[in-house]
Amino acid sequence: MTERHRLRSLLTFVQLNGIIPIRTQPLFLLNLLASPLSFLFFIFIVSRGALIQYGVMGGMVLTMLSVGTGLQSDLTHYRHDLKFQDVVVASPVEAPIYVAGMALSELVYSLPAIAVFVLIFVAAGWATVTNVLVVAGVLVLVWAFACALAFTLATYFQDVRETFLFSPLISLGLTVIPPVYYPITYLPAWAQTAALFSPTTYAAELVQASVGLVALPFATEVRDWIVLVAFVVGLLLLAAVKARWQEP
Amino acid sequence: MPEPALVASHLGKVYPTARGGKPALTDLSLEVPNGRVYGLIGRNGAGKTTFVRIAATQLAPTSGDLRVLGRDIRREMPEIRKRIACVPQESRPLYFLNTEEVVYLYLKMRGMDPVEARRRTRDAMEELSLTEYRKRLVARLSGGLRRRTLCAMVLASDAEVLFLDEPTTGLDPIARREVWEAVRRTIREHRTIVLTTHYLDEAEALSSRLALIERGELKLEGSPEELRARVRYPYRVLIQDPFPAADLAPYGRVTPVEGGHLVFAREADARELARVALERGARVSMGPVDLEDIFLEVVGRSIEEDGSSETEIET
Repeated sequence: MTERHRLRSLLTFVQLNGIIPIRTQPLFLLNLLASPLSFLFFIFIVSRGALIQYGVMGGMVLTMLSVGTGLQSDLTHYRHDLKFQDVVVASPVEAPIYVAGMALSELVYSLPAIAVFVLIFVAAGWATVTNVLVVAGVLVLVWAFACALAFTLATYFQDVRETFLFSPLISLGLTVIPPVYYPITYLPAWAQTAALFSPTTYAAELVQASVGLVALPFATEVRDWIVLVAFVVGLLLLAAVKARWQEP
Repeated sequence: MPEPALVASHLGKVYPTARGGKPALTDLSLEVPNGRVYGLIGRNGAGKTTFVRIAATQLAPTSGDLRVLGRDIRREMPEIRKRIACVPQESRPLYFLNTEEVVYLYLKMRGMDPVEARRRTRDAMEELSLTEYRKRLVARLSGGLRRRTLCAMVLASDAEVLFLDEPTTGLDPIARREVWEAVRRTIREHRTIVLTTHYLDEAEALSSRLALIERGELKLEGSPEELRARVRYPYRVLIQDPFPAADLAPYGRVTPVEGGHLVFAREADARELARVALERGARVSMGPVDLEDIFLEVVGRSIEEDGSSETEIET
């Protein structure tokens, strides 16, 4: 395949798994917004509005993580129920094109949900160049992490129902215990230690700091970026080793 | 002489299990000629799908060699993948696409130019009588139309070797004939089709050569005529009136059927039996054995009998 063919192939995956499903069933978009907006509402009520800004930033992170959850289900469903992956394997499409195309398609699919949070972000007056760059960078890393996690887990799942079992556990480990929706100082000491094992802790700290919700020393900010990138690279390497294009 | 499309030499596959592994293919050697339909027949679990999945580069073999279009299945997978297409067994199109999108996006996914992809999509939809359903969502199609859409998808491609694993399962007789016609047209384009099927009439109608696989082993291989020539009794005589079975036994193998007997015999014995039976006033029909008869003689069971429990693995 030439580069042009590869690009065409990649964009076709974006079209078939990202754009067409929105056209066919727009209600799916509400589904994607449901969790982050529910959290936002809950945080708003419980904190009497005091933590609404944390809720908005957390909603962005959660939406990007939801991309991974959706990808994990799609990959498992396409592989085992529809045998779509087998159709793709027996074609000129290379594994990295399929991986990138599917990951991008989920990103496109989540854009309307992201747009809602971006509107709130802009309306709140946080949209400076620096803030936008930091938040965009963090969200891209969270997306890459979520996709790598999805590709690794999808390798082990034999049925799409297994992904439904794992989703709440992933959500607990990545969005409930880690301080995505509140400051880390709200957590008891043991939970603060546990939260350090989740990349979303570092992502949340960075986006919260970017809009001035928490004050981070420069060294901590650098550490957060390094740890977040390390999580992404590590998981991508794991996915590359574990994910199988041809069955052994 | 053109190079064969596929050459398998002592191909083997053992699926890993907790008890050390379950063989699905054993020492399978065969050649698939270029530009023809090659039929793989066998019961459920015989190993047909395992062979197709290995040849379509979806599954790694455990032992032996396989060359597709002259390329090694282990070392030259990317080269092979550029020239093949596959409809896997039990595959279904993505339910949120319409039928036209299934075909068109598959071609684009393979890197085809959009204008060419549109033209080929339109032609394939027409060939398989799918034009009236082109804007209908897959989710709203019958199982048969979904299978036909998948067939249109790979037949529209520019692949040189097509793997169709049970392509007409669930189709009504008319739709099956339309797929057959499309397959025949594809062959006229000098492409190769490897077809697995449960329908022996389909295998015989389409395939220039056939391989009969049972429990992962190749039992018989050749053209339908060659297969007939290799069985012990190449003719069948159906005697529909009561006739003493003891009188039939010397002519060949006797199988009781409703209202009479079926006798499998050599040509001379079959002619003699038919003559004797007609003289006695019995209703007689005689002809060469069909694939079902050959299958029964070689395997000892009907193709309808499920063999997957014997292999314990879906193959």
